[in-house]
Amino acid sequence: MDLQFDSETYWNRSSRAAFSFDDEDEVDLAPDLASNGILADDTISEASFNNSATLNLSIKSILSEDALKLVLQEQALDDRVLPKGVSPEEELKLLRRQLQSTLYSPNLEATAQKLLQGKTAPLEMFKSLQEKQQLLDTLLAQGGGHAVITVLLFLKRTLNALQFHAILRERPRALEQYLSYLKESGDLASHIELLQRFGRHQEAALKQFQAALASGDLGTRKKHLQLLADAYATAGVGIIPLYEQVFHAALKMQQLMEKETGLGKLLRAQPTPVEVLYACCQANSNWKEQDMLKPISPQRFAADQQISAAQYEWTALNERAQAQAYADLECIFERVPSWHPLKTKQFHISFDLTLAVLRLYELQAPSTVLQLFLSKMGNSGEKLALARRVKCIRAVIDAMAGLKQQQELQQLKDTLPERSEEQFYCENALKSLQSKRWTTDNIKLKL
Amino acid sequence: MDKKLQGFQLVAQEKLCSILGSIPGKKELILEPALIKPLEHVFTASWLKLKGIQRIYKHDAAQSLPRSSDQVHIYMIRSVLGTFQTLLKQLESVALEEMADLSLKMYHIICVPCCYSYFQTLLEQSGLWGLVQLHHFNWDFIYLDQGVLSLELPNLFECLYLQGNTSPLPSVAQSLRLLQMICGQPALIMTFGHHSAQLIQILRALGKLPEATNPPEYGGWLIIDRDKDYPATLLTPAIYAGLLLEVFDQRSGEIVVDNLKNKISSQRVELLQGKKPKVGPNPSSKPCSIRLNSTADEIYGDNRYKRFAQVSSLIHAQVKALGLELQKLNDMQLEEMHDYVARKLPKLTELKTKVLRHLNASEIVIQMMVNFRRLQTLEEDILNNVSRKRLLAEIDELMTTDGQRFNTLRLMCLLHHCAGVTPEELQIFARNFCNLFGHQNLIVFQQLSQAALLPPLVAEKKVPATKLLSQLPLPKFQQTEFQANANRLKLLTSCGDGQDGANSSTKNQAGGMQSCPSYVFNGTYIPLVAQLCSILLKTNNAEELSSKLTMIEGLHLHMDGGKITPKAYANQVKVNGTADQDVFPLRLRNLFVFVVGGASYAEIAACDFVAKLTGAQITVASDSLMAGSDLIATAFTH
Repeated sequence: MDLQFDSETYWNRSSRAAFSFDDEDEVDLAPDLASNGILADDTISEASFNNSATLNLSIKSILSEDALKLVLQEQALDDRVLPKGVSPEEELKLLRRQLQSTLYSPNLEATAQKLLQGKTAPLEMFKSLQEKQQLLDTLLAQGGGHAVITVLLFLKRTLNALQFHAILRERPRALEQYLSYLKESGDLASHIELLQRFGRHQEAALKQFQAALASGDLGTRKKHLQLLADAYATAGVGIIPLYEQVFHAALKMQQLMEKETGLGKLLRAQPTPVEVLYACCQANSNWKEQDMLKPISPQRFAADQQISAAQYEWTALNERAQAQAYADLECIFERVPSWHPLKTKQFHISFDLTLAVLRLYELQAPSTVLQLFLSKMGNSGEKLALARRVKCIRAVIDAMAGLKQQQELQQLKDTLPERSEEQFYCENALKSLQSKRWTTDNIKLKL
Repeated sequence: MDKKLQGFQLVAQEKLCSILGSIPGKKELILEPALIKPLEHVFTASWLKLKGIQRIYKHDAAQSLPRSSDQVHIYMIRSVLGTFQTLLKQLESVALEEMADLSLKMYHIICVPCCYSYFQTLLEQSGLWGLVQLHHFNWDFIYLDQGVLSLELPNLFECLYLQGNTSPLPSVAQSLRLLQMICGQPALIMTFGHHSAQLIQILRALGKLPEATNPPEYGGWLIIDRDKDYPATLLTPAIYAGLLLEVFDQRSGEIVVDNLKNKISSQRVELLQGKKPKVGPNPSSKPCSIRLNSTADEIYGDNRYKRFAQVSSLIHAQVKALGLELQKLNDMQLEEMHDYVARKLPKLTELKTKVLRHLNASEIVIQMMVNFRRLQTLEEDILNNVSRKRLLAEIDELMTTDGQRFNTLRLMCLLHHCAGVTPEELQIFARNFCNLFGHQNLIVFQQLSQAALLPPLVAEKKVPATKLLSQLPLPKFQQTEFQANANRLKLLTSCGDGQDGANSSTKNQAGGMQSCPSYVFNGTYIPLVAQLCSILLKTNNAEELSSKLTMIEGLHLHMDGGKITPKAYANQVKVNGTADQDVFPLRLRNLFVFVVGGASYAEIAACDFVAKLTGAQITVASDSLMAGSDLIATAFTH
């Protein structure tokens, strides 16, 4: 295929971009693969990379020739290849040295340095336990990096499990590296086994939990969670209350999802507790008296999952407002005071009222609903500001009345449309304000 | 100097060229998608063509690419074990069937930035030894912007701080070695933290350098560990570049501005998002990108380190001015118009598209950061540890009503780092967090405790003593390590108990004049790197340095003789009576700063500010540039 990179036609053609160089586009490669490479139709814009064009730099001005040679030489992974053009004597010397280091005495420093550079270095001649440990310790002291893992893999291959674990036990940093290797390689079983061997049961439990949640179908997920929850409680290695609680909550939720298949339809795969709560709210029809015996009644579910009051209220508020079932909102925020169950219900909210009002406004709740929430605000000044922000005139009037702003009320009344409900409301507020001023209600009451 | 730093690109080209040159045959390059953006800074498609690459493909982990018998496939991937293993599996099924001639290597894998030495072992184990050849390629520092370098290694923080895996360190040391070759040996290297010191050690272990031909460029290097200054990433920045990174995804010095989704909105639980953003009149409007490079984008260059509020009004003004300019066209004579259209108009329209892009971006930022002021006050209180109880309640309320997966957790981490969070408080928070974002996030808390961002949770039975202790209220005078160090180095500028004159930034803000690098955090905090830079630049002798940095653990100077504390160095100078050989004051007033584990734009801006104040030049480099949410997000990749 003839690719004309720099010609006009190429760039024009590239604009139709069947195929983007961008990694966000999930393009199916298959049909294009055989016929077209990316370059034939990419969208890299040559114009945006003018660095090299304007740089006007030569490599020589940056690096000396020796330095560049060194850089390139260090980049080569396999330097066992003999350099070309050396005299026979030198070649003999080189070979002798290599033989020496492969067969007899291992060269600690050279090996460590090679490994650090990522080069291949033979490890087989590190035979004795002491040599092996020395090699590992040298690398650990130097900061090690991936070379430590290389050596650990070598040790695992050439030592029995007892020795290998003894080495790890004495070197916590090596253990960390090895664990990280196991984790990345996806060898979950060995990872968990090693964690448990070294007494890190909490981390092992977390890993098992992770694995259980990741399993695809509901049945196995439930089974694994059940096993884990039981084992964790009885293992006798101490428990972290949070872990225990989350394990149980996850199990309970799986059981619920299994029973209530209707809920699943409302949700994406692997929903979070709050998302399930949202679905419960959607499914709930009786907000006045929630049936606490039904596991999918929102309040019961929230209690089972230990969802905080604030989270419960916020979720329900959002769901009911989205569903435009504003009448239910009152039930959510009404609470029988626990210290006196016979007392009438009281309004109670677990987060800032302002946030509730703003969210309701955002969800286009009618102004009567906004007024209901605004009426619960104590501070009339704040109430006035907020009411203005959400354009709830009645609440503005209430707040003004609360602040005894007669003049402002009068002005407001004049701007309201003639004979509208709001105007009447405003008029009433004005009247009550005036009448209150002249009567002696307060004194009478006291008498 | 900037030219030299841009020269890294040439070296990278040479390096890749020598790899490609060593491979004979009809070459096809298969790239891991995530590599494409950074690679664009190294070469162009036509450069590759020139080097004999016939086609480039995007690597697809799910689908292997068929190869015709005369082609050589070169894969380029990041040195991540998982990716490498998947690729090997993919090649196993193809390559082993072919039973190709072993002398002809038809498959090559180039690992970026480093071929881990155990990859060879894995290659052998998978039976592909001889069929597949491994290479490594390190592009070293990518010059993103004036004074900003990045290695573009996205997983370094996760590896080093969360997993205790130092695998990527040697390649970072190699890049620093190359920097030494290009810019010369500095008179002084100061490191703060374990990994930083280790980097210098590896650098030494890598061997001697050839004689430098160029004069040295930097008077000093400053290398610090990310965990020595978490607040510099965890706090919300107040500057333009920093906020852009808070809201938009960044890849290799480029942000993607998408009207429909961004970094913040994707952190929220969708069901509780409130009203869906209205899809504009043009729903298919393509996301556009802004390069964070001052030569490519002069508007960015003018505004990058200014306060966001200021920038936003500047951009508005600029849009207005441009509109007026374009209106002039209507009042012109035909002749004039010709001239105008031919000469000025193209430039103006180009400028206009750029300005509009920034306008759009800054408007999305404003829209997304509705809580900005509240957040700033909260962060300031956290820094100064004012009424802890209320702070916890506020974080909880923010999570409930505007839950952002990473940013909420970020506040908690900040609180722990600055004031300390007890395991009991964390458990309550974690339970609410898991309820909102899913049970699978339980492990995140363990991960973050590895990096000392959160307290570790301890099993109850084992240590009853600590539990009792933690139940006691923390005594007031007990300082966290952060508070102690921050006080010693005078990093906190808003706590109000009579700081020295230089730190009265809050008063000057009204006038738009900033006198303190803490302006990047609205006058509350000076990033540690900036403070250390200014100390290095202002110090006159070793004694002074030692007294300024007294009692700070983990800080070392690296001289020819090895690692030494500032105090020991001062003593050494005193005892030897060689005051004239003292490296202070620094003769070359250029500094190179490297942050191990990701730098933030707030740090870069603060360093830039210090540089301007002291008439020096400071280059900030890191393995990647990140916002606080990116840092927290690394704990979620399990």
